[in-house]
Amino acid sequence: MNRRQLLGLGLGGSSSLLLGGCALNGVSAAVGDASQPLNERLEALLQGQGKVPEFRPDQVEPAALLVNSFNGVPRLDPERYRLQVKGLVGRPLSLDLGTLAALPQHTCVMRHVCVEGWAAVVAWSGVRLADVLRLAQLSPLGGYLLIDSADSYFESWDLASALHPQTLLATHMNGAPLPAANGAPVRLTAPIKLGYKQSKWVTGLRVTAQLGERRGTWEDQGYEWFAGL
Amino acid sequence: MGHTSARQPHHPLWTRASHGLNLLVLIVMAASGLQIYNANPVFGGRGGATVPELLTLGGWLAGGRDWHFGFMGLYALNLGLWLALLIQRRRRRLGELGDLTALKTSASAPRRRLSAHRLVYTLMLIVLAFSLISGLAMYKPAQFWWLTSLFAFAEPLGVNSWQALRVSHLATIPAMVLLVVAHIVLSWRVGGLRLLRAMAL
Ligand code: HEM
Ligand code: HEM
Repeated sequence: MNRRQLLGLGLGGSSSLLLGGCALNGVSAAVGDASQPLNERLEALLQGQGKVPEFRPDQVEPAALLVNSFNGVPRLDPERYRLQVKGLVGRPLSLDLGTLAALPQHTCVMRHVCVEGWAAVVAWSGVRLADVLRLAQLSPLGGYLLIDSADSYFESWDLASALHPQTLLATHMNGAPLPAANGAPVRLTAPIKLGYKQSKWVTGLRVTAQLGERRGTWEDQGYEWFAGL
Repeated sequence: MGHTSARQPHHPLWTRASHGLNLLVLIVMAASGLQIYNANPVFGGRGGATVPELLTLGGWLAGGRDWHFGFMGLYALNLGLWLALLIQRRRRRLGELGDLTALKTSASAPRRRLSAHRLVYTLMLIVLAFSLISGLAMYKPAQFWWLTSLFAFAEPLGVNSWQALRVSHLATIPAMVLLVVAHIVLSWRVGGLRLLRAMAL
């Protein structure tokens, strides 16, 4: 056997080790940790580009929108529902659905992309998250937004993405009131983030200067935090 | 060209380095891509058949994504640099229309093999560049919406642009498997072990 054949064997051997998966699974997180800061920076740069072009309302694909939930479907009483806005804001808020409905309403027909690989065009309508944060007099010290959900799902966003004009607190989907499975009465939607960033059954918004230990239900298990599209 | 001459000079170091690195990183990209595939098979969705675990890298979806997006930068840089240098300095080694003509009309079998081989490895470079483009269109569909919308070509057939994109991106793997086999067979027949030596690191 000559040198090249040995090299070939080595290549084949190391690749089957790689492909064998398990042996190197522990390394996956290290690879992610090493590459994500740079990727995140590029993603944030790209995201500074303003609005994403929208789809036509007749392009929605209701059947393609699958339902993912980590903890069942909480049923929230619309009468008793309140959206709490606190943290680094000048005026903490507790908004009922009537108050939300009285704010300017927007619709965004966007592609909802799931980390699993599927996608669906959906028309989300509701108020801009930015409008709610401004109503609460967002402090310039704020850097991150923590989002609590009724099913104890947790998320955190960078403020730039939260203030994006197409980031909505949606109360309607494809022209009808939001179904319970899709996050009724209020959920987060944005064309610039993967699906798991778009919390359903949103009940609390907290503005903070720094990210804490917990960054998100899925992020804490190993999924990327920025998750931009 | 003296592919079969007794003295086979080494190919330039940069092309050998890029060739080897590309192969290694491609294996990582393909295996981690198949891991991502398994989270929601392109064919059949949640009920679809998954790829055997042996061919995947990462262990679970987030792990697969760690590898895929961790290595995409290196993969793109190496491929971009290699392509640029090949086009600038070794253009005559790449396939061209004349090779198609030779394939059809040349009476010399070695000449035909050489042309076929040039076409095969050039086509591989095109397929790989395409995997980069289709990958980017899925990684950043909001920011590169114009890239993503190019894949609306199959909409008249009832296949939306996202599915067309997923199928196109996945197609890199079977296309490359076939081409690599052809590449190895042809390079063997063109120059045998000597050529392999000249190309290996
Ligand atoms: C810079 C280059 C690349 C980028 C940016 C990229 C990006 C992506 C993205 C974003 C996905 C997830 C798609 C989804 O959610 O469905 C994906 C999946 C995948 N990639 Fe890549 N990729 C690249 C190169 C490659 C290469 C070279 C290969 C193969 C040799 C490959 C094979 C796959 C496969 C098999 C999948 C799973 C298909 C699916 O589930 O849709 N990728 N890639
Ligand atoms: C991912 C897969 C591969 C790609 C994209 C690829 C691409 C190429 C390209 C573009 C060249 C021409 C380089 C130049 O002239 O500067 C080349 C040459 C060569 N490759 Fe590959 N290759 C791949 C895999 C392989 C494998 C697996 C082998 C062998 C086991 C191999 C063996 C060779 C040999 C012997 C040459 C020299 C051919 C000649 O100069 O005529 N390649 N390859």
